[in-house]
Amino acid sequence: MTRARWSLGLVGVAVGCYGGWLLLTRQTAADLVSAGQWLVGGVVLHDLVLAPLVIVLVAVAGRLTPRSLRAPAAVLLVVVGSVTLLAVPVLGGFGRRADNPSLLDRDYTTGWLLLVGVLVVLAAVGSAVQLWRRVDGADPGR
Amino acid sequence: MSPRAPAPEDFPSRLRSPAVTSRVGVWLGITFGVCFLTGLVSHYAQLPQQPVPFPANPAWGYRVTQGLHVISGAAAVPLLLVKLWTVYPRLFLRPPRRARALMVEAAERGSVGVLVASAVFLLATGLVNMTAWYPWEFSFRTTHYALAWAAVGALVLHVAVKLPRIRLALGADLDDRSLDRASATEPGVLTRRGLLRTTWLAAGVAVVATAGNSVGWLRDVSVLAVRSSDGPQGLPVTKSAAAAGVLETATDPAYRLEVEHAGRTLALALEELRAMPQTTETLPIACVEGWSENAEWTGVQLRTLMDLVGAPAGSAVGFESLQQSGPFRTSVLPAGFADDDRTLVALRLNGEPLSIDHGYPARLIAPNRPGVRQTKWLARVVSA
Repeated sequence: MTRARWSLGLVGVAVGCYGGWLLLTRQTAADLVSAGQWLVGGVVLHDLVLAPLVIVLVAVAGRLTPRSLRAPAAVLLVVVGSVTLLAVPVLGGFGRRADNPSLLDRDYTTGWLLLVGVLVVLAAVGSAVQLWRRVDGADPGR
Repeated sequence: MSPRAPAPEDFPSRLRSPAVTSRVGVWLGITFGVCFLTGLVSHYAQLPQQPVPFPANPAWGYRVTQGLHVISGAAAVPLLLVKLWTVYPRLFLRPPRRARALMVEAAERGSVGVLVASAVFLLATGLVNMTAWYPWEFSFRTTHYALAWAAVGALVLHVAVKLPRIRLALGADLDDRSLDRASATEPGVLTRRGLLRTTWLAAGVAVVATAGNSVGWLRDVSVLAVRSSDGPQGLPVTKSAAAAGVLETATDPAYRLEVEHAGRTLALALEELRAMPQTTETLPIACVEGWSENAEWTGVQLRTLMDLVGAPAGSAVGFESLQQSGPFRTSVLPAGFADDDRTLVALRLNGEPLSIDHGYPARLIAPNRPGVRQTKWLARVVSA
């Protein structure tokens, strides 16, 4: 490692340690246990649940989907999957309160369905255009 | 087939390549950098004593930084997921046998562990907190702030460790395979370019679907935004009067606003406040949760009230709410804001008397301030 990299690395360690110190010195033990659960829980949920689930999904869908549909299906998986994960708090509406109608004030299920619908149509149009181009370009008679 | 732990060889896709990882990583780093800097701005703006005074101009500054904060966070979700997908096989690398190599490996994995855990934590708790859902014991503010430092530190260390590989990967063609694992030989369903474009698309959709909170013209297409930016008098509410427990005290005819300086106290009835010279200002209210909205506020200039009790310019002003508890019951307005002509004790909003959820009978509104410090249901105003 060059000197610049060592310096950068040490800056990283120092900044990270400052974060650790902030975390450990500003809260009660019970708060820290809860924060620890969320920290570990996030990694466990990703590494042992979400990632394997995606692998299984891709394997199963790969068998069931015709070759020409696999690319648009993969695009949809990435876009819809990540946006849906991001929308779990609004779709679940867990924070909704009777005294504050301005919070979570949309019909999120309909919105989500609409969004997925638009993306499916776009993916279908996109792959149709690509298919048409390929057929067109491969035609030696032109 | 007997069950065994997966190995990197079990992931043959050519898409799980440093060529993809590094390119997604650059944008992930940018989104985290924006989140970190805008987060620091927000925490600094909330300090009661600021070594360098936070500026009152532009009035929409905090609105922009806090909007950027939540927008970058939304964009980071697909970026992080794709990046983790490309490096997932590395989770199953067998540890080296030699003690020295093992220690190096453990240190690197430890730092990556801190990075992944804090990154997932920041995005997850940020998204959950925005919806006023608090399924945890810890203080969101303290923990989100501390782990932001931890994440950025781990990120800088990670970049330092990986720098030669990052440079090689970014310098080479996207389809170059010299940095790939030997077992990553299978062509994917998408090309690498296709996967990258899909990732940018996902980040874009995540932004458009949620940004209506802070970007007005996206309101109609932001189907997953926490708020439609509507509410009483056309403005959303973060904490209602009922939640703050002020329904009775705020509507009590005996209500008086106490204005205080150096032992001198004035108790002003709402009618007296209304009889004073009124000023109208268009100022945004920008919540730490990322939503923001412009509104027309009418009320008494804070300066006018301060003059009544002989409080000099250049000092901070403390505000107390009718609220009996809660971390935002009081706030301190630094001198630069207290002296600003646009800073009002507002009585009216968008042409009507303040609705109770917006702070009736009187609330503080100042330019370029975090919404949570724009104290509602004012009970006392004290000049230092």
